[in-house]
Amino acid sequence: MADRNFDYESTLEACARGDERAFQALYRQEAGQLLGLAISMLGRRDIAEDCLHDAFVRIWQHAARFRRELGSGRAWVHSILRYRVLNALRSGGRYAEVDDEFIERVLDDSPQAEAQALEQSEQRLLRRCLQRLEKPRRHPILLAFYRGLTHEQIASRLSTPLGTIKGRIRAGLRALQECLQA
Amino acid sequence: MIPQDPEERRALIGEYLLGLLDEQDAAEVQQLLESDESAARMALEWERHFLDLSDQLPAQAPSPALWARIRQSLGLHDAPRASPLSNWWNSLLTWRLTAAALAMALLVAVLMPLLRTPDIAGERYTVVLQEPGEAAKPGWVIQVSSDGTLSLDPLVADQVPDGRALQFWTLIDPADGPRSLGLVEAGQPLRLPAEQIGAVQAGQLFELTLEPAGGSPYNRPSGPVLYIGRAVLASAN
Repeated sequence: MADRNFDYESTLEACARGDERAFQALYRQEAGQLLGLAISMLGRRDIAEDCLHDAFVRIWQHAARFRRELGSGRAWVHSILRYRVLNALRSGGRYAEVDDEFIERVLDDSPQAEAQALEQSEQRLLRRCLQRLEKPRRHPILLAFYRGLTHEQIASRLSTPLGTIKGRIRAGLRALQECLQA
Repeated sequence: MIPQDPEERRALIGEYLLGLLDEQDAAEVQQLLESDESAARMALEWERHFLDLSDQLPAQAPSPALWARIRQSLGLHDAPRASPLSNWWNSLLTWRLTAAALAMALLVAVLMPLLRTPDIAGERYTVVLQEPGEAAKPGWVIQVSSDGTLSLDPLVADQVPDGRALQFWTLIDPADGPRSLGLVEAGQPLRLPAEQIGAVQAGQLFELTLEPAGGSPYNRPSGPVLYIGRAVLASAN
């Protein structure tokens, strides 16, 4: 469904000029993936759809703020969605406990997974860098990303002291940025 | 307190994007992102890397009504409006299309007696949704009209427990898995436009499942199937 060669930057610039067809094309291209992320974080489809609604309203209203010299258009769109979802989580608490089997699986260490990751992109992938982190540093970052958990929630989920979790996430992010920029 | 060291700053921005900062720190980072281009660039770099993780999740089809809701919230009209700059071009285009339509009308008028009316209407389908394993307990009926519009009508008033919801699904290709067509109110009819359904095929599976309030947290049904049925060709014009 999603077009790999979709030009997010030009589409957002067209949205900024009031081009509704571009807006619709962006929705067709990205709404499904954004909703997948929102449902993963919220554990509920209805609130996830509310966040998706709010994100697209904001994308249309603020498209003129996007500037391609600052970075990827797709990244910009995702940052807007994640911001809505985190707000919903922080203001309403968690809605449902979702099992974390997916998080255990996402960094599949199998050779096929690695080959697939290589094939998908020539650039250094975050997953490859995450794979190099030892699990105690990697797991809290994935819980924050996929489930939107706070430091406190991660500490309690992993039965680890809060200070330890904060330190591991900070150190994990530092190691990731080094790996990503190497 | 925003660190001066660029690498510490970058890590802090990463924590901000993951929603890990307390309110005060988050407000400071937010202000920094609005005022400092290099910080804004760092944030989009993190986000671009995070896309790699987002893409590990299966995409989930939004409810068919969501797009209309977004347009309504923005006060956008049904037909995409032209931007002021493109008015002149559009009017020229309109003129050309009008001329082309006139030419076509003439051509058709001349050729019409020679041609048979082509079959342009689509096929109509009916689906009777029954309780699984029950041949004579229809609960809902689906009609797909020749223009592709789907209507789902209740034959019974289901009792849905508190905190639960009915979710409507279709399965076109088993390899793709079921696709959500949104939540359904017990005892209430539902209309879905053709573009949300796609072309219906004979034998296509439809079902209603019992899900947590708000719908299945997964990209597939998570609760029991209440009603299920396959599309049957009602007529081919």
